[in-house]
Amino acid sequence: MSLPAPAPAYSPLYSAYVSGSLDPAFALLVETQAALRQDVREALEIGDIVAGVQLEATAPVAMGQGALDRTLSAIDLLEDKVGDSRSAAANASGALDELLTLPEPLRETALMAAGEKGWSYTGPGLRRLRLNVSDTVEAELHRIEPGAAVPRHTHEATEFTLVIQGGFSDETGSFGPGDIAVKGPEDTHTPVGDEDGVCIVLAVRDGGLRFKGLLGVVQRFLG
Amino acid sequence: MRLSDETSANSSDRQLFAGLMAAIADRQCRDSFAQLFEYFAPRLKGYMQQLGADPGEAEELAQEVMITVWRKAGQFDPAKASVSTWIFRIARNRRIDAHRRTRKPELDPDEPMLRPADPEQPDATLSRAQLEDTVRTQLATLPPEQLELLKAAFYQGLSHSEIAKAFDLPLGTVKSRIRLAFARLRGQLEDGAGP
Repeated sequence: MSLPAPAPAYSPLYSAYVSGSLDPAFALLVETQAALRQDVREALEIGDIVAGVQLEATAPVAMGQGALDRTLSAIDLLEDKVGDSRSAAANASGALDELLTLPEPLRETALMAAGEKGWSYTGPGLRRLRLNVSDTVEAELHRIEPGAAVPRHTHEATEFTLVIQGGFSDETGSFGPGDIAVKGPEDTHTPVGDEDGVCIVLAVRDGGLRFKGLLGVVQRFLG
Repeated sequence: MRLSDETSANSSDRQLFAGLMAAIADRQCRDSFAQLFEYFAPRLKGYMQQLGADPGEAEELAQEVMITVWRKAGQFDPAKASVSTWIFRIARNRRIDAHRRTRKPELDPDEPMLRPADPEQPDATLSRAQLEDTVRTQLATLPPEQLELLKAAFYQGLSHSEIAKAFDLPLGTVKSRIRLAFARLRGQLEDGAGP
């Protein structure tokens, strides 16, 4: 093989996501990044194809007597109730137009959270929406108006921030759609929303994350 | 339907599955659903049992996945995924809801998700159908020891350290084999995508 090796785009996050073993908050982060980025999307698609082929190759285990009929009866029962989910979606509308433009994996979760608790005010030009996706990992959306500054803060835990739309800048650099900023306990920063539109980010925070010399690498990328 | 057990579906099987999905979506065809059920439900049950569900629970989960297949049949798009991949995704989501046996990520220093977005997006990528064909072809030619590890990671959901223990391999070997296998699926794609 004389060809140069292509960039290894495999990540253990992708196989954990594809197999369904990744924490739901991180799964939401990976899925949302895939909605914004072709490279991530293709890696996950490849993983899903690998898993689909494995499903075909799985040794079948006979279903119980009458399983098909039971399934069809359950389908009949459910067909009578299709109206329910539509009215729930209608209740969540209102001042939520902005959420409707979010990429799909995030939209539903965000609409649900907005319907339940709504955005909370966290400072001038700043709003926060807590998402209920994981028992152990916090996930929230932050909305930063152009020029609004998030007060200088540190982080108790490692925080991953994926930019969904717009952008923000802090002492370490500028972040745009599809970028992930990582901050740990040793970081203090003052993010400011870019002037060209509302910035929305998805922040996922976890204290127990195993972290191996990542920050140095991130800083290298950000130059 | 004449399908061999325990091997992956060939391309005419896959066309057949897609046709059955269309019949379910277009005219709620129960015979088509019964054929899909006959093939996929026992495999879904096997999958759920491999993941640790007891037979009763595995059967229930398999039925729930098939109910979702019926209800969402209209969303299936053969240009975007094969039926197997699409059904696997439903099963994965069901698995997450059922077990919440989840894990926090183990990250490496060169974690791809932390790389900045590439401004030069490749505009002409392979269609998903081509992607599926290519990945299937590559999978069939992978050395067994690479295929086993891909399966453990992507299908069974084992972490690198769990795989190292299960296969009695050094952690570094696990990482490099999976990376290599995955790059092979992709690397060959990039070659094939040229003019």
